[in-house]
Amino acid sequence: MNSRPAPAGVLAPLVMVMLMLAALPVPVAAADDPLESFMWERYRARFLGDTPVRFDDRVRVITPDFAEDSGRVPVAVEAPAFDGRFQRMLLWIELNPIPLVFDYRPLSDGLARVALNVRLEQSSPVRAALLSDGVWYVGSARVEGEGGGCSTPGIAKQVDDWSETFGRVAARRFADPAGSRLRVKLFHPMDSGLIPSVDAFYVERVAFLRDGEPVARFDWHASVSENPELAVTLSGGEDAAYRFQARDNNGNEFDHGIP
Amino acid sequence: MGFRDTALLAALLWPLGAGAAPPPFEHHLTPQPVAEHTWMVEGRPEELSEDNGGDIANSAFIVTGHGVLVIDTGSTLAYGHALRAAIAGVTDQPVRWVLNTHHHPDHVFGNGAFPEAEIAALPGTRAAFRRHGEAFRDTLYQRLGDAARDTGLVPASVDLAAGERRFGGYPLRLLALRGHSGSDLAVLDPATGVLFTGDLVFHHRAPTTPHSPGIAVWRDDLATLAALDFKVLVPGHGPVARDPGPVAATDAWLAWLHRRLRAGAERGATANRVIDAPLPEAIAAWPLARYELTRSVSHFYADYERRYLWGEPAATTK
Repeated sequence: MNSRPAPAGVLAPLVMVMLMLAALPVPVAAADDPLESFMWERYRARFLGDTPVRFDDRVRVITPDFAEDSGRVPVAVEAPAFDGRFQRMLLWIELNPIPLVFDYRPLSDGLARVALNVRLEQSSPVRAALLSDGVWYVGSARVEGEGGGCSTPGIAKQVDDWSETFGRVAARRFADPAGSRLRVKLFHPMDSGLIPSVDAFYVERVAFLRDGEPVARFDWHASVSENPELAVTLSGGEDAAYRFQARDNNGNEFDHGIP
Repeated sequence: MGFRDTALLAALLWPLGAGAAPPPFEHHLTPQPVAEHTWMVEGRPEELSEDNGGDIANSAFIVTGHGVLVIDTGSTLAYGHALRAAIAGVTDQPVRWVLNTHHHPDHVFGNGAFPEAEIAALPGTRAAFRRHGEAFRDTLYQRLGDAARDTGLVPASVDLAAGERRFGGYPLRLLALRGHSGSDLAVLDPATGVLFTGDLVFHHRAPTTPHSPGIAVWRDDLATLAALDFKVLVPGHGPVARDPGPVAATDAWLAWLHRRLRAGAERGATANRVIDAPLPEAIAAWPLARYELTRSVSHFYADYERRYLWGEPAATTK
C-alpha cells in the first residue's frame, strides 16, 4: 500500500477509511522485513513483482538454527492455514548464488507443507512466500552458515561416484490427518554449474500425478541438495494412487509409483 | 645469533617482551589434583566462543618423576601457553610428552606450546588431523577471533599403539578405541587408578558426534571402558568423577539418541521434526542438549533413514 501525506482538510474521512482498511489483511511495506535484510527488497521485486506482500506468522519456515552440513540443510515450510487456498509457494535463500530453491504449484492436491534439503553458501535469511488470492504471504527464518569444524562447503560440494546410484527413486506414503504425507528420495548429483568444468546438471521439474494427471508440481533450482529428499503432503487419502515424476535439464526422466 | 636462536629467544620472552602485544586471551587455568601426582584442568561446558577463548575441553597431566606427561592441550596456542604455565606452578619437571586423545580442535591446538616435548597420538588420529586440521584451524579463527592468534598446525609426530607403554619408566596402559571420532585414545594409569577417557565420555555436557563411526561402535567402547579397573575418571568434558557414572550417562544419551533417530526414520519424520520434538527431562538437563542433537541429526539421520525409512543396508559410515 502506498501512503502519501494528505491535505489537512481531508484527514478525517481518510482516518475512517484507514480504520476500515485496518480490519482487512493489509500488506505491509518492505521496510517491515522482520529480519531487516538488505537483500529482501531485491528478491521481493524479482520474485514477487508488484503483487501485494504481507509478512505472516502462519507461514512457518523451519530450519535448524545453524547448518552443521551446509551441503544438506533441512528446510520445511508449514502453513496449514493456507491449505486449499494458495496458488503458488516460493522458497528462496537470499545469500545463495542461486537464491531460488523451488516454485511450487499445488494444483488440486498440494497442501501447504513441504520439506526439502538445500545447500547453504553462508549465513542467510530463508524465505517462503505463498500466493493466496492476490497477496503474497511471507514467512522467514535465518540459518547460520558456519557449522562445526567438519562443515562441508555448500555449493562446491560434489558427489563422487554418483553414476552408481543415478536415477534411483525411493518413495513412501505415510497416513496424515490431512491426506497423505509422501517422502521421496531421488539420486541425482544436482550440479549447480557453479563449479568450473562441471556443467549444470540438475532436476528442474517434479510432479505428482493421480490417474495420469498432475495434481501438484514444482520447478526446482540447483540450490536443492544432491540426492534430494522431498516431503510433501497431498490431500488424497489411502485410495489415491500417486506417482512421482521428474525431469532434469539434460532430459533424463524419472518415474516411480508411490505404494 | 642465528634465526633459530632469535626465534627461540623471542618465544621465551614472549609473555614479557616490552611493547609486545597483549596475550590473545587471558586464560585462568586451575589444575585440580585428582590423584597422586595427577592433575586435571576442567574446561567450560560450552561451545567455542570469543567469550571463553576456546577453553571448553579438559586437559590433564601426570608428573611422572621423569618429566611431565600432558593429555590434550586445548583449542589454542594461548591455552597451551596457559596450561604450560599452570603446570610450572605445580612442578619444576619439564613437559616431556604430550598425548592427543583424538583429532578434534578443542584437544590439540595447544600442541604448539610444547615444542620440546614428544607429541604422540594414535595413527588414526594423526591421519584424521592431516585431513581436517586446516579446516579446523579456519573454524577456530572464525569462532574465537583474536583468542586463536598465532595458533598453527602442530600435529603429533609419534605413533601410539594399544597396550602398555613406559614414559621414562612410568607405565601407562593405552587403549585404541574409535567410537567418538574414529580414533580415540583412552589412558589408564595403573599406579593411581585414573582413567583418562578423552571424548569417549562426556560428563554434564551433551556428547558431540562429528566423525563418529556410529552410535553402536561408541557404545561398545563405553562397555570396554566400564569393564576397566579404575578409581578416578577424567572425562573429555565436564568434572572429574570417582565412579563410573559418567560412562553410564554417556551411554544413556547415546541410547536415547539412537531410539529417537530410529523412531523418526521409521515414521518418515523430517530432520527438523526430529530436532524440534520435545526433549525428555533427563536429556534436556544436559548443557547444549538441543545444540548437539541438531548436530547429531546432521551426522547420523541420513544413515538411519537409509536403514529404517528406505530399507537399504546401512552405509559404512564415514
